[in-house]
Amino acid sequence: MTELSQTIQTAVSLLTPYAQTVDYPATNRADLGVGVADLVTAVSTLHESNWGYLAAITGLDCGLESSELEVLYHFCAGAAVVTMRVKVGKETAVVPSICPIIPSASFFERELSEMLGVTVAGTPNTARLFLPDNWPAGVYPLRKDFQPEMINGR
Amino acid sequence: MHTNEHTQKAETFIVPIGPQHPALREPGHFEFTIEGEIVTAASVRLGYAHRGIEKGTESRNWVQNLYMLERICGICSHIHATAYCLGVEQLAGVEAPPRAQAIREMVAELERTHSHLLWLGEAAHEAGFETLFMYAWRDRETVMDILEALTGNRVNYSANLLGGVKYDVTGEQASKIEQGLDYLEERTRHYLDVVTSDPVFIQRTRGIGVMTAVQADRLGVVGPTARASGVVRDVRVEAPYAAYTAFPITPVLAQAGDLEARFVVRLRELFESYGVIRRILANLPPGELVLKRMPRRIKAGEAISRVEAPRGELFYFIRSNGSDTPDRVKVRTPTLCNMASVLTLTVGRHLADVPMILVGIDPCFSCNDRGLVLKRGADHEHWTWDRLRQIGLDYYAGERGSGGVGGTSISPAPLPPCPPALLTGMHV
Repeated sequence: MTELSQTIQTAVSLLTPYAQTVDYPATNRADLGVGVADLVTAVSTLHESNWGYLAAITGLDCGLESSELEVLYHFCAGAAVVTMRVKVGKETAVVPSICPIIPSASFFERELSEMLGVTVAGTPNTARLFLPDNWPAGVYPLRKDFQPEMINGR
Repeated sequence: MHTNEHTQKAETFIVPIGPQHPALREPGHFEFTIEGEIVTAASVRLGYAHRGIEKGTESRNWVQNLYMLERICGICSHIHATAYCLGVEQLAGVEAPPRAQAIREMVAELERTHSHLLWLGEAAHEAGFETLFMYAWRDRETVMDILEALTGNRVNYSANLLGGVKYDVTGEQASKIEQGLDYLEERTRHYLDVVTSDPVFIQRTRGIGVMTAVQADRLGVVGPTARASGVVRDVRVEAPYAAYTAFPITPVLAQAGDLEARFVVRLRELFESYGVIRRILANLPPGELVLKRMPRRIKAGEAISRVEAPRGELFYFIRSNGSDTPDRVKVRTPTLCNMASVLTLTVGRHLADVPMILVGIDPCFSCNDRGLVLKRGADHEHWTWDRLRQIGLDYYAGERGSGGVGGTSISPAPLPPCPPALLTGMHV
């Protein structure tokens, strides 16, 4: 257990300069709020220290009453999971691409942008990955305001 | 001659592969740019089997989602359900009883066995080694029968419940499993020998699709694909879940990083699975199978659940807003991580190596139910596997009798009448 908490602490101390909030939702997890402007530097700091690997990018719609989306970057090292949480406005949902640092993030970023409508600035490939070619532009299925009529009623 | 070579190099073609049957029976579309025989660029388009399941979870309750998520994949169905149950239990602040956790692990290892044997057959088929394909799938029936005896189903075993499992293991079943494992162990040893010694097969695997440990790490690959390149990435070892602390496994590694190593790792992993299943059967913890009470509404919060599917790390992110339906279920399957390696590893190789490199990551494709329900008006009749097998035997015996197969006639013999049952409601 001490080894696990040490692993988490290593990541947290590396990311402290960029973290707006730090939370520990479970014994094996740390959840850090990071500003959009700091994201690339924070990811690159973790990556350059060889701390774990990027396991997934999750996009979240915070609800109909909220004007925000969250983008979660999950990094895993052994049992430890460190999440960087970036908040963006629904109307101006733009995050920078982390592909220059971690090329394998490309699939995750493509999924994020087509499902949640988050523009990933500078991502090498913006072609659709999962949704059909005739899916209407500007309709994002994982947004909470999505209704099936948006695709059927074309 | 020189002019020909020159022309070949100057011309670039794009070879589209898929979406139907891109080497495997699963839809996916690849575009390989080739110069002569050599691939110079590759791209992929997925989504042909996209069913909107993540969105679907938002309109179903916690229990309904268990059954839907189990159907994401027909091969690794149990592990999806396990990842989901462990995540929801974590959010609810409960833990399934030890006996349930051990049964979860046992079914997961049986599932890995059937998945790896299925893959062995499929990979052998891609290499044109049809005999190995047939034998591997014949032997896979042993583990399918075990799964059916345990849970009543060959796929979508539905062994999990939120807070436990549905099925116990009886003494009779345990001895049947032991027998099956003995047989499979002997066969797996034989297959390991075949894939490392058959000179023709080795030409298709040795030194092909090589991925170094550094590349594997950079590409973010997971599971056996990573372990064949010497990268220890196994959730069962790194972050033990279910009963993996009580019944641990040793990760299987290889250093070569080529296709042969991926065969060796998956086959050697089977011995680990057989070993751990035997240990679980011998030391199954006593007690309940399921929690007395599992809340219908799950406390608000976020959980991350990671498990080792046959193809590698399966990652679930689950968020609850305190109601009886989840706010978000994010599923990141191992194939998405491993797909990037196909695009990288095929570049610089011959086009002919593409199917083998693709199959080398064991991309996840749905397997089918053999269940057959006859619909005659309102009547339903269930056919047992044995009866279905007998119909198959009778069918072909009749065909041989009519001189159609192996006969001297040049014109095709008329097909014997199809049994009426095969015309309706069959899921092939």
